[in-house]
Amino acid sequence: MSAYIDDFPEEAAVIRAAFWSSFVALAIGAFFGLIQTLHRTDIVRIFDSTDYYTILTAHGVFMVITFTIFFLVGVFTWAVTTSLDRGVESLRFTWSWYLLMSLGTVFTAIPILAGFVDSIDMSADVLFTFYAPLQAHPLFYIGLTMFVIGTWLAGADWFRSWWAWKSENPSERIPLPTFMVLTTMIMWYIATLGIAVSILAFLLPWSLGLVETVNPLLTRTLFWYFGHPVVYFWLMPAYLMWYTLLPKFAGGRLFSDPLARVVFVLFLLLSTPVGIHHQYLDPGISEGFKFIAMTNTMFLLLPSLLTAFTVVASIEHGARQRGGEGYFAWLGALPWREPAFTGMALAGLMFAAGGFSGMINAGMNINYLIHNTLWVPGHFHLTVGTAVALTFMAGAYWLMPQVTGKPLASKPIALFQTVLWFVGMTFMSNAMHRAGLLGIPRRTAEPQYEGFEFQAAVGSVAELDAQVAIGGTLLFVSAVLFLWNMLITSFNRPTETLPSNVIPEPLSGSDDSPAVLDNLKLWTLIAIVLVVLAYSLPLASIVDRGGLFGPGGDAFPVRLSPTLVAQLLVDTVQEGLR
Amino acid sequence: MASETSKRELGHDDFDPIGTLALIALYFLLLVFLWLFMYFVEFLGNEPTVVGLI
Amino acid sequence: MNIHTYEKLWLVGAMLLIVGFIATVTYGAVGVGVTMIDDSEETIDPTQLDEDERFSEPRVEQVGENEYDVYVVARQFMFQPDPIEVPAGSDVTFYVTSADVIHSFSVAGTNVNTMVIPGEVSTMTVEFDEPGEYGIVCNEYCGSGHHAMEAMLIVQPEDEFELEEGEN
Repeated sequence: MSAYIDDFPEEAAVIRAAFWSSFVALAIGAFFGLIQTLHRTDIVRIFDSTDYYTILTAHGVFMVITFTIFFLVGVFTWAVTTSLDRGVESLRFTWSWYLLMSLGTVFTAIPILAGFVDSIDMSADVLFTFYAPLQAHPLFYIGLTMFVIGTWLAGADWFRSWWAWKSENPSERIPLPTFMVLTTMIMWYIATLGIAVSILAFLLPWSLGLVETVNPLLTRTLFWYFGHPVVYFWLMPAYLMWYTLLPKFAGGRLFSDPLARVVFVLFLLLSTPVGIHHQYLDPGISEGFKFIAMTNTMFLLLPSLLTAFTVVASIEHGARQRGGEGYFAWLGALPWREPAFTGMALAGLMFAAGGFSGMINAGMNINYLIHNTLWVPGHFHLTVGTAVALTFMAGAYWLMPQVTGKPLASKPIALFQTVLWFVGMTFMSNAMHRAGLLGIPRRTAEPQYEGFEFQAAVGSVAELDAQVAIGGTLLFVSAVLFLWNMLITSFNRPTETLPSNVIPEPLSGSDDSPAVLDNLKLWTLIAIVLVVLAYSLPLASIVDRGGLFGPGGDAFPVRLSPTLVAQLLVDTVQEGLR
Repeated sequence: MASETSKRELGHDDFDPIGTLALIALYFLLLVFLWLFMYFVEFLGNEPTVVGLI
Repeated sequence: MNIHTYEKLWLVGAMLLIVGFIATVTYGAVGVGVTMIDDSEETIDPTQLDEDERFSEPRVEQVGENEYDVYVVARQFMFQPDPIEVPAGSDVTFYVTSADVIHSFSVAGTNVNTMVIPGEVSTMTVEFDEPGEYGIVCNEYCGSGHHAMEAMLIVQPEDEFELEEGEN
């Protein structure tokens, strides 16, 4: 009965480093988030609108690449070492992937942040999606590549641990947390192939001037081949914590080990062959392919809907053990004063709402209504921005003491912080969804246009803007409180009285799981077959129509000198008049 | 945490997640209602809409 | 593997939701006739739009009694033609392409919304029954002036509409 750091002091140091990389990204991302929310609602403006997109790129990349994935590697290392009860095979290898990921982050950050300095001829104002022919500095693509290779090596590290463990325990089931890590990583290997091909075969050579043109629809499709599974890559560490830690916090046990395995297998199989649902309104892809992508996407709801039941039932088990009664009254018996529990429970509640707007996004033709409107960031601030981010923060309240050996600085502030995030997000996201339905676009610096005004049927656009600004500000305050708590915790005195790092046994255990669920080779094979089925024809059609390198077109580095911009405007106007 | 606060030990066979079923039934009804509202009121009511060539 | 009866019930409920969602969207496609932007147009070199018969002069063109074609070029940071004027009570087919980066052509407050990808031509047919004025926005980030990329779509009363010669 001991804390994580007592058993694995060396691994705890890697996890601390990963968490801190994640938190630094959160700090930068949250700061840019605040600037953005106040700028686009026209409340406080410290930058020019043309710089909004540099801020937006930084917010996106730091939040959904650095913050989420560094936290993921920390949690996954914790989950594998804890559940296999063995340290990593080689600490040097573990530190090397951490360093590669860090270096990749720095390389990606340099051209993004250089976008703020006009005198540096370097930029990457291409947003998180970096759609060609918008072009970033080569360093941006190189940094992303290094980061992704770092995650591949991290996955290899966890597989090594499992193989070593298996040779010593040949007849045992894969412990559930390790099973979750391995299936998620297989999904990630398949998914990142898309981005690897997009960057290494096309975008990087193109940014270096080695090839003249790229096919914008092809690189965009390859991005979304990766771009949907990446959302599950963010989500899976949160799911892992919901399945392993949340029942423990609630005072109960996981309801069903077999169903948890089924859920992760379904995510492995279905996360990737769905990316075209981000391209419902793209020309150059036939309606049939879009319909197939929708069908796959709708079935991908299943593992999340099953998770809702299993996780809530596990929490209910805790509540009943704590004396809870009735149909709904048991909710009152839950440990709402524990920030780790409350944060995760609120994150899960918000995921139920985000799940609904995701169902709308999945509906093929309804995308005419919501595609690229503010509805979409409204949606993903509920999912990655709360289900994931708030679960990570809540998890950190329990995990940081485990990997530092130091007690949490302030439990009341932690509790307040999780509730504040929930309240802030309720304001911001609700208003963004409603604004999206009015046709207000996402990814734009201005709340209104010159020639016309967006009209609200209920309430007003000004009221929506106010809600976005208030919500965004509360979220920023919440992030600051979280970071402060983590910082003070790190300077706390070590304590001997930490809770033990034990994951309780599920009610329905792994003996009850069919052995085939652990056949990772089989699931990998099926996952690949599904991806080939879903993507070979659309990709072949895109290449056949437009060619590997596209039907022509120039590159558009996003930061141009003011004189060049002026010249460009004059040219286009003349062009238009001619 | 469980051992400190738990009042009773419930095994697999003495636990029926009736509260979960109740909550999830409410969620189901909410999803059905919101989906129909979004599709038929917000979307199909937001004309003009892209239609096929006649 | 034993699954609790309640969870089986939920599994059935979840499948009903999934099938119901797919059925609704299918109804929208088959019953209501909402079609998706697709791959019906050939690709085009975005640097050679000047040479293209349709896009060298972005314009509104009458092609039938109540049928109009609109050829739109989206470029950093404008739409051509602007404004787009069509009569009420007509079927309008938009052909939209980009001269540079990825844009969108989105008529605010309606379901007329498409991505515009250089090299591809987006096409969609819309029935305009009533006169009205709509804002058109680009809802895909296209560069530092993205927020200024807008145009107007004016649906004129049928009796007031007149197609200008060489309008662009």
